[in-house]
Amino acid sequence: MGSTCILRCVSLVLDGLSKRFGQVPALDGLSFEAPRGQIFGFLGANGAGKTTTMRIILGVLRADSGTIRWGGTLHDSLPRRVWGYLPEERGLYPRMTILEQLVYFAGLYGVPRDQAAREARAWLARFRVPEFADRRADELSKGNQQKVQFLAAVLHDPEVLLMDEPFTGLDPVNVALLREAFLELRDRGKTIIFSTHQMDAVEAMCESVAITDRGRVVVGGPIREVKRAAGRRMVRISIDGDHRLEWLSEVPGTRLIRPGIDRTEVELDAGVDPEAILAAAIARGAHIRHFEIADPSLEQVFIDHVGRPADEELTLATVPAEDSAA
Amino acid sequence: MSRSDPLMPNTLIVARREYLDRVRSRMFHVSTIVLATLAVLVAFIPIFAKAVDRGTTTRVAVYSSDPQLRATIVANLGTFLNQQHDPGRADPYALTAASSEDAARQSIDQGAADAALVGERAPTGRLDFRFYTGEGIAADRSQLINVGTFFIAILDYTSLNRRAPGQAFTFPTLETVAASGPSTGAAPLDSADFAGRRILGIVFVVLIFIILVIYGMWVAAGVVAEKTSRVMELIISAASARQLVIGKVLGIGAAGATQYVAVLVPSLLALGLENRIATALFGPGDAISPSLVALAPPLVLAYGAYFVLGFALYALIYAAAGSLVSRPEDLQVMALPLSLIAIGGYFQAVLALSGGTAGFIRFASYVPFWSPFVMMTRLTVGRVEPGELVLSYGLLVATIAVTVVIATRVYAAGVLLYGQRAGLREVVEAVRHPA
Repeated sequence: MGSTCILRCVSLVLDGLSKRFGQVPALDGLSFEAPRGQIFGFLGANGAGKTTTMRIILGVLRADSGTIRWGGTLHDSLPRRVWGYLPEERGLYPRMTILEQLVYFAGLYGVPRDQAAREARAWLARFRVPEFADRRADELSKGNQQKVQFLAAVLHDPEVLLMDEPFTGLDPVNVALLREAFLELRDRGKTIIFSTHQMDAVEAMCESVAITDRGRVVVGGPIREVKRAAGRRMVRISIDGDHRLEWLSEVPGTRLIRPGIDRTEVELDAGVDPEAILAAAIARGAHIRHFEIADPSLEQVFIDHVGRPADEELTLATVPAEDSAA
Repeated sequence: MSRSDPLMPNTLIVARREYLDRVRSRMFHVSTIVLATLAVLVAFIPIFAKAVDRGTTTRVAVYSSDPQLRATIVANLGTFLNQQHDPGRADPYALTAASSEDAARQSIDQGAADAALVGERAPTGRLDFRFYTGEGIAADRSQLINVGTFFIAILDYTSLNRRAPGQAFTFPTLETVAASGPSTGAAPLDSADFAGRRILGIVFVVLIFIILVIYGMWVAAGVVAEKTSRVMELIISAASARQLVIGKVLGIGAAGATQYVAVLVPSLLALGLENRIATALFGPGDAISPSLVALAPPLVLAYGAYFVLGFALYALIYAAAGSLVSRPEDLQVMALPLSLIAIGGYFQAVLALSGGTAGFIRFASYVPFWSPFVMMTRLTVGRVEPGELVLSYGLLVATIAVTVVIATRVYAAGVLLYGQRAGLREVVEAVRHPA
């Protein structure tokens, strides 16, 4: 048994998953490996098949073809408690108290009631909301309900956590709390797979990613390799009093791709020395505050492969002039 | 290959949640009080009927092939029956002679008489009576006529003994035959028992309709609520569709049973006390034959089995129907066909109580969706062969077994559909290729 096999045996391996809903293909030979004990970013535009993939892993949907293995075992031979799931569509029983529902969900995964209650109170305390235990779900804000749903997904101590857009709808404080919980669970050996449109969260937390488009993985692997494989180099530069950097057009082989007040991203053609930009700035007498030679951002990689930003639906479409005049 | 989760303990965990969620709700408390009040009122119907009945006249057509006996019955039985009644009121009984036994029976069908009494003298001298009851005759009046036949036999013996002394008195025989109703042509029932059973029949047909349709709709509404609140997304990954469907049916069924007991106990008490209440209100002459005498233990067992099996069948389908809609307002439309089938069963049961088409009623009592209504009614007021009962239960159980599989598959596919109603093709596809 070689090292590749050992890695595959401990990873979550999706191999050639296909799924159609009527005439509509949702997954088209989707494959990736998520290493055990890592946080894995599962990226794709809306409709790319992320939720369908998670539902198939959970056994809620059946794939038309393909296999899923966890630690070398086919997923439908594994008990449900291996998985913890935070769905994108959030919901709780509105009239039940938080403690009752957490105990209920954990009970379905085989956790005894008293143990579930103890764990639930401990988690609520860690999320700084111990008083939620005896409150009904419909008395909580959406964000707080979301935290409870996260607890429902982790209370039975699953090996793999599948989190569908876990940060959507949370304020920055709760995003930070959830990120901290992710990292702690990762440190306890849990494997976390989460989908999101927030590329900064992926870059900050994930070791590996898979970017999907139209039901297949277009690029995947460790983040650093994914970025390097893009074959592009970037310069991030910040100059006091000049955020337009209009003089860059005079430096051959450079393209300003993301202007910013604080920091500007410049893409370099192959063979162009990044120091040419530095030299041009110094020659103009600019006060350089920041200069960084970097790989492209994950968002840039995403756009390269998918052809549109991950959250394209959240931006306004361009309206033709005659339409807007009308 | 799909994961095969054991039914327990998750089914019981789901059932427990569903049960507690229902019985703790304000709607449950209010509906239990309203239903219990209504049931007690229904149980007191015989007393209300008695209040109305006191002023009516029961018409009895009398026939005997012996003209002298016929004249004796008409003259003396009428006097005997009408001897105790309030002056100023019409006679409670009116007896008329009929030209033949058939004519006497036809007068019931034509509405000219409420009952017919045929008396014949056996070669031994014993009087044999046959009492044909129509649907409008009250139980206590039937009983009094029964007593009256004994009085006639004594009169007849006295008159015969005067002519031929030394002959011993022989007790008359009486068989009661339902001239109309589901037991037409069947072996006779005791008339008091028959009347008591009809009241029970009405009560139980109403109760089983409530259980099947109202509690069934609870199941469907529960599924829709889980979809609407999106909590379905969490539970469908934590438990299998089979565990969820069966747990929901068990839990809501148990909640329904709790309400049922809460409704039934006061109404049974009312039925048990109706005779005393009638006696206190109207005097000892107007006692009511207690309806509960008809509630024999085997009948209770048979009722219980139909209630449980009927609810299981309807609730499974309601659960599947609920999974196919995303909004509570769409549920009524989705559940309408099943509700119509239940209403069809209800009306056939009512027909069976009041003498419907015998052949079709018999057929309907085997059809699984109708047998809880119709066979239960036949058991209540008619005669059912053991083989018929086995066939009815067997078909019902087999249908439930098939329905569990189909409903679970529809549910598993339906609960993941949002904002769209599944077409027939999607439903068939889900049943053929489950997740």
